[in-house]
Amino acid sequence: MNPKEYIESGILEAYVLGALQSEEQREVEMQLDLYPELRSEVAGIEKAIVSYCQLYAVTPPAGVEQRIAQSLPGMRANAGNGVTETNRSIPFQPEHRKPTIAWRNAAAVAVLICSLAVNYYFWKQGDTERKIASELTQQMGRLQADQKLLADQLNDYKSSTAMMADTAIQTIVMHTVKPGHPMAATLYWSKSNGEAYVAMDALPKPPEGMQYQLWVIQNGKPVSMGVLPNNMANTPVMEKVQMQVTSGDAFAISLERVGGNPSPTEVYVLGKA
Amino acid sequence: MPGQTYSEEELVLLLKQQSREAFNYLYKQYGAVLFGVICKVIYDEATAEDVLQEVFVKIWTNIGQYDAKKGRIYTWMINIARNASIDKLRSKGEIMKGKIQKGEDVVSNLERGLKTEQVTDTIGLRKMVATLKPEYETIINLAYFKGYTLDEISKTLGLPLGTVKTRMRSGIQQLREVFNN
Repeated sequence: MNPKEYIESGILEAYVLGALQSEEQREVEMQLDLYPELRSEVAGIEKAIVSYCQLYAVTPPAGVEQRIAQSLPGMRANAGNGVTETNRSIPFQPEHRKPTIAWRNAAAVAVLICSLAVNYYFWKQGDTERKIASELTQQMGRLQADQKLLADQLNDYKSSTAMMADTAIQTIVMHTVKPGHPMAATLYWSKSNGEAYVAMDALPKPPEGMQYQLWVIQNGKPVSMGVLPNNMANTPVMEKVQMQVTSGDAFAISLERVGGNPSPTEVYVLGKA
Repeated sequence: MPGQTYSEEELVLLLKQQSREAFNYLYKQYGAVLFGVICKVIYDEATAEDVLQEVFVKIWTNIGQYDAKKGRIYTWMINIARNASIDKLRSKGEIMKGKIQKGEDVVSNLERGLKTEQVTDTIGLRKMVATLKPEYETIINLAYFKGYTLDEISKTLGLPLGTVKTRMRSGIQQLREVFNN
C-alpha cells in the first residue's frame, strides 16, 4: 500500500466521520497501526471536526446540569483533595529503666506491641468496612443508572413495535433529475391510511420568492399535494403531508413561485412508489 | 476554583477520581459543545437533553477505557455524543417523533439555536465555514450528523462512491485550512 495514495483517497476522512462499515473500519485501524503517518493525518482530521463542532455549541437550558449531576453513579463529594487517614499508632518512647527490672521492660514492650496490633486490627477492620460501604453506594448508583437506561430502552421498543404493527410505512427516496446537481428528498408513505411524511434532506434553500411543491403522479398526471415550508429545506426534519393520498405511481418535488402552481414548472427530484 | 483550566491529561485524572469538581469542570468546558453536537442530530429538545445525560453518564463510567494513544479526550467525548445521538435517531421512536414535528417547532428550534449558540468569536469562523461548498457540507453533515455510510450517501445523492469520498476529503481539507488560519 502507498500511504500517500491511501490518504488522497479520502478513506481516512470517511473513517473519522463514521461513514465506514465495521469491516472497512477494522481495515483502516490495521493500516493505522502499520503506518504512523496515517495516524497524524487522522489527528489532523479529528482536530478539524472538533473545531467544526465547536461552531455549533448550544448552551443547555438551566437545570440540566443539576439533573445530570444527580444521575451520575458514584460521584464523590470531594475526592479531589486526597484526605489521608491519620496515623493512629501510639508513639513508642521507651523510658530508661533500671537493669534489675529488665523483665518489666520486656513485659511493657510486649503489652505495647499487643496494643498496637489490636489497634491496627480494629483500624484495618474499620477501613475495610468503609471501603465496602462506599463500593456498595457506587454499585447502587450504577445499578440505578443501568435500570433507568433499560427502562428507557424498553419504552423505545414498546413504542416502535406499536408503530410497526400499526402502519406499513414505505420509504420512497426521490432522486435528482438534474444532472450535476446532487439533490434528494424522502417520503414516508402509508398507502393503507393515506398518510405521508416528507423530508427535504438534501435540497438547497429555495431562492427569494420561490417555494418547493410536492406532487403525486397518478395515472401519469401530476396532482399537487401542497407547498412545503422553506425552513425544511436541507434539514432532516420531517413533516406530515396535509393531504391524504391513497394511490400514486411516483412522487416529485418541484420549485415554484411562493404559493405554488397548478402544474409543476421545474421538477428537482423524483422517486417511484 | 473558578476560571481554572486543566490540560487534557489532568482532566482525565480528575475524571478518574469521580469528584464533583471534575463534573463541574467537565460540564462547564464541554457541555455546550456536546449539546450542540446532539442538537445537530436530534431536533426534539427533551430528547436531546436526555441524550446529553446519557452522554455524561457514559463519559463518567467509561473514562477508564479511554486510551490517550488513540486520540484526544475531546474527540473521544464528541464521538460519544455523536454516536449516542445517532443510536437514538435510529431507534424507531425518535424517527416517528421527527416525522410528526410541525413547522412551528422547526421555527422555534431555529430561534432557540440563534439565541443560545455561542456567538462571540465564532462568528467570523462561521462565515468562513459557510463558504464551504454545499455539496461538501451536505456530505459531511449526512455522514457525521445523520450517520449515513458512504454507500448510503452515494445512493441518496446519486453519486459514485469515489466522488463521495473525494468530496469528503476536499470538504475536510477546506475546514482544516479555515481553522488553521
